[in-house]
Amino acid sequence: MNDAKHPDRVTGTRSSRGDVTSFLESLVIAAILFVLVQTFLEDFAVLSGWNVEIRNKILLAGFFFDLFFTIEFLTRLYYAIMVGKVGRYLSVERGWIDFLASVPLLMFNSGPLALTLLTGQGIAVGLGGILNLLKVIKAIRIARILRFLRIVKIFRRIKNVSSPMAQRHIASITAISVTVLVLSLLFFTVFSSSLQLDGLDTAFAEQQEAVADHLDENKDDPADFVFALETLRETCPSLLIVKYRGQALYSRYSDSYYQEFFAPGDYTYLRKDDLEFFFDQRPYVSQLSRESILFFVIVVLVVLAYLLIYSPHFALTISDPIHVMRRGLEETNYNLEVKIPQKYETDDVFQMASLYNEKYLPLKDRTQSKEGQSLIELDTADVSHLFPEEEES
Amino acid sequence: MDPNLARATVFINHLLANPALNNLNALQKEEQILQFLKTNAQSLVPTLSSPQFFPGKSWNEILQLLNTALMQETDKALGPQIEDLIRRKISFSFVAEIQPHRIPEEKCRDELLKFIQRLLQKPEARKALSSPLTAILGGFIGRYLKKCFDARKYVHFELTKVQRLRLEIENIEHLVHVTLLLRPSVQLFTVGRGGTGEGIESALVQAQFAQTVLHSMKGQLKILPPVLIRSGLFSNVSFQEDTQIDATARIAAIFSSRAKNYKPIARVDRGANTPDRSWFSITRRNYKYYGFDIKMLDEFYKIASESEW
Repeated sequence: MNDAKHPDRVTGTRSSRGDVTSFLESLVIAAILFVLVQTFLEDFAVLSGWNVEIRNKILLAGFFFDLFFTIEFLTRLYYAIMVGKVGRYLSVERGWIDFLASVPLLMFNSGPLALTLLTGQGIAVGLGGILNLLKVIKAIRIARILRFLRIVKIFRRIKNVSSPMAQRHIASITAISVTVLVLSLLFFTVFSSSLQLDGLDTAFAEQQEAVADHLDENKDDPADFVFALETLRETCPSLLIVKYRGQALYSRYSDSYYQEFFAPGDYTYLRKDDLEFFFDQRPYVSQLSRESILFFVIVVLVVLAYLLIYSPHFALTISDPIHVMRRGLEETNYNLEVKIPQKYETDDVFQMASLYNEKYLPLKDRTQSKEGQSLIELDTADVSHLFPEEEES
Repeated sequence: MDPNLARATVFINHLLANPALNNLNALQKEEQILQFLKTNAQSLVPTLSSPQFFPGKSWNEILQLLNTALMQETDKALGPQIEDLIRRKISFSFVAEIQPHRIPEEKCRDELLKFIQRLLQKPEARKALSSPLTAILGGFIGRYLKKCFDARKYVHFELTKVQRLRLEIENIEHLVHVTLLLRPSVQLFTVGRGGTGEGIESALVQAQFAQTVLHSMKGQLKILPPVLIRSGLFSNVSFQEDTQIDATARIAAIFSSRAKNYKPIARVDRGANTPDRSWFSITRRNYKYYGFDIKMLDEFYKIASESEW
């Protein structure tokens, strides 16, 4: 059957496909907004000392968001491959942001965390010392910065300014700025780790190694050992549990407290012969969360600055005057002048607008006056309903 | 009623009801429809000459029917509007101030109303009345005069010192409104343009011609003060040709032109100047072409800019 003879069916199919696309796009926007809240809450929960159950739910939500965005990226990539426009998708349509904000996160951040939570295993125990463990924790957390790139994704879908040109320019400059910011933070973190520079993680690791050594040295004399343990209880708040041959000799908190407030990554484990130690890593994790929230705030403020300060400036000095001139050139009954702000009057755009105001519009006005026609408001399309359908076709 | 005319009336009423014509007055709508019929003649002919509309009629006959129906429908809406304007909205108390002997206001109203009805019989005059009517109904005169009297600059000087009007600002407004209504009278003495009234608004007449028409008009309008008729007629003369034209005539000429193609805009595009400011700015550059007083335009431009009109 010829589709052309059945425009309703064709239109209907396109319309329903359009509805589905529109729904999916709205879903993606909603997911981006939610994931930003989730990203913030993940750190805020650490700083506020929310219990493990809630924090685990937030972490799992992050995993599902990463999974969702990975599926979104793969779907878009698949369609781009199908229509032979992979290059366009990855570059012009910023598919590279879709990639960076999904696949690496799923593989290196939320994926392993979710696996830990779902299987009930602690992370990275015995990977070669506390320092390495802390570096792994930091690397996993720092990868979350990539989530901030999703703020950029939102520009592709939300029309914050009426002009497509303004939309594209603001989106481009935001993408560049946020990406540079995020990749700089990521690069600096990786780079500083590889340089083995002493930092907070080193200090934590050294202190915990020293505590473990001290107790290990005193283990042969029970009196000395108890004294050392008592001293450390007062002076080393990060010492949580000490076990000897599997039996707990000391525990700072009750088991229920550990269950409620210690998530994987909040503590480290160290073994010295028969002695086992658990240390509280929450101050270190809190520090990382503070940094993460700082990065988040910086990125959000950068984006807001572009949206609220640069975007109106771009509209005022570029897209609005061009829009007014285009209408004046295109529409016979549009004769409004371009508003020229005094401080920008030497800009090329406003010099052109000045010519438009002073030369073109008066000329257009005289031409219309000579032709003696009033500017017609009615069009044949306005009266098409008065004619029978056969005539129209 | 002739069934063809009835059918034409139905068609015209459909056109008049089009939302694109909302906010236009009756004469503006008529003008739009006349132009629509002219512009789209080729696409309308096959449909309108079909059995559903006017079978067997030529395009000229159809056009004649549509024009008749259009005029009838416009007059139905326009008649009460003009009567209301002249009988109730315009005060003729200013006549006593510009005329040495007393004339009853009601007689002025009657004469002006009859004269306007006469104007409406001629397509050129009918079309020429559209802009003055829009200017009056749009409230331009009162709005700008108030600002001019506050500023007490050129326009105020021209009205009070040069034209020597010792009137309240409201009465000057009424005087300019009557001047606007008398402005199309010059069309009664021009040769018809095939009934279309094309190019009427921008057409200036020579001062000598206006003077001849004034003599004739004085014979026809015996109640209205000659100074008023002169003001209405000379609003069609270029200020570059005759610098003695009354300030009221110059104001009427400017705002009649402003009201041509005037349609209230709900929202001005961001990045664009306001409609009045844009219009005065453009017209300042074309003042010689239209025969306007540049100093008046400058003052109105300044007012429009400051008031964001």
